[in-house]
Amino acid sequence: MVRAVADRTFLPVKSLLEQVGDMMILTGKTISSAVRPPFPYGGEFVQQFLFVLRLCWLPLVISNLAFNYGAPGLQAGNFLSLFGALDRHGGFFILAAMRENGPFITGIILAGVAGTAITADLGARKIREELDALQVLGVDPVKNLVVPRFLALMVTTGLFNAFAMCFGILGGLLATLTFQAPPGPFIATLLTNAAIPDLWGSMIKTTIFGAIIAIVACYKGMTASGGPEGVGRAVNTGVVIAVTAVFFFNYVFTQTLLGTHPEILILR
Amino acid sequence: MRTWLVDKPRDGIAAVGEMAKFFGTVLGEVFGGRVFRFFGEALRQCGVLILGSTLVIWTLTFILGLTCGIEGAYFFRSVGAPAYSGVFTAWCNLRELTPYAFGYMLSAKVGTGLVAEIGAMRITDEVDALEVMGISSMTFLCGTRLLAAFLVFPVMYVGALGAGFFGSYLAVVQQIAEVSSGGFFLIFWMFQNPVDLIFSTIKGYMMAIVVVLVGLYYGYTAGGGPVGVGTATAKSMVLNLVAVHLIGAMGTQVFWGASPRAPIGG
Repeated sequence: MVRAVADRTFLPVKSLLEQVGDMMILTGKTISSAVRPPFPYGGEFVQQFLFVLRLCWLPLVISNLAFNYGAPGLQAGNFLSLFGALDRHGGFFILAAMRENGPFITGIILAGVAGTAITADLGARKIREELDALQVLGVDPVKNLVVPRFLALMVTTGLFNAFAMCFGILGGLLATLTFQAPPGPFIATLLTNAAIPDLWGSMIKTTIFGAIIAIVACYKGMTASGGPEGVGRAVNTGVVIAVTAVFFFNYVFTQTLLGTHPEILILR
Repeated sequence: MRTWLVDKPRDGIAAVGEMAKFFGTVLGEVFGGRVFRFFGEALRQCGVLILGSTLVIWTLTFILGLTCGIEGAYFFRSVGAPAYSGVFTAWCNLRELTPYAFGYMLSAKVGTGLVAEIGAMRITDEVDALEVMGISSMTFLCGTRLLAAFLVFPVMYVGALGAGFFGSYLAVVQQIAEVSSGGFFLIFWMFQNPVDLIFSTIKGYMMAIVVVLVGLYYGYTAGGGPVGVGTATAKSMVLNLVAVHLIGAMGTQVFWGASPRAPIGG
């Protein structure tokens, strides 16, 4: 009885910890084989980069526009217009679009769209035993498959963040226009409140999101098992882990950035 | 030239039509009452949802509540009114981020899970086997799962809101610690009311139902072997995320676009 209860409680925890450890090992292997010559992954990197770009741009643009129109745009606009301070709306978008929403929507979209596609791709190769075949041929799967995806996702997530911020701010501008306010004060307060630490913080944050998503997706794909159901299940658990990890990292990073750079909090 | 000008849009419109037809059929199964023949199976699906997904969803809303809390506390400290952090956290949690977090985690956990499960049944011909045995697969597989979603999600959503509130409380009162517990809750409860809760629940509920329907559609129509299930799972995620964001923005526009519903002014 006690044994059964203990098994039910601790076995999932144990397997979770084991998986996290395995992912850490995979991260280490990926980084070390990325910097160590030879570098055979150039072509695959470009291919994956374009693949992610083609897959994600439309969901990313729509999602950012919609989210920032609704959440910070209308709600904060409502709040500010109660005080007759709608001209301050732009300043709020540094907090909203640049520091929080832009990065985390980019992370969610990349995890949901590119991460799942990568897991499905690698998982299908795993259960058709193509990965084992590669190893028999003397081709290292980490160097030839994981490293290009890792680098491609890091670069694209960082670059997409720029577009996420642009379209987020556009969404806010649309919200300002629906309040029949002129767009000039919005842009003026936006630019006076913008600070450099916010920008690089946002970029670094999304780049690390990309690394997390790539490692989780590749790990789950490469350890898929159990036939056709296995691939689907790998995609399912992979995206859950990736989303949770992205949000958790987001909290830690925001806290660190705000704690270490108090000057970005001053309203100008 | 011709392919992306004529064929692609036509295929897209055809796919939307197929999807709408499927959604109509599944909703008909539930509201037509046919699904109640398999009420036991629906209850079992409720159990699967509760045991499998609740904790993950509450964890995510809790983390987002923490993020809302620190952003709100730091923002209101910068305008010199830390006691009013409750305004930000109340609106951030109740009106926006909990519905979104609920939608994200449902599409990640429940949506892709449905595609993987039903897709695997489809390509191993289990769905056809059900039909041969004289059981309507549409009712037994899709209807019961949708009914389970209808039953479970409101309760799960209110629990998720609670997790988010708790996260915000921890972040603002215990972590940043610039406002007393009583002061925080005074403002926090003042800036929300039961109608807001109902609006927010409707928003989260709409997202959840769309996510479940999309998952059922992609699972039921999966094909092309093991690879097909994987790609269908990935594809369902794209549609789910876009739908969640569009429903979120539309909900905000409809429910709070015209009136802020705040205890300020006349």
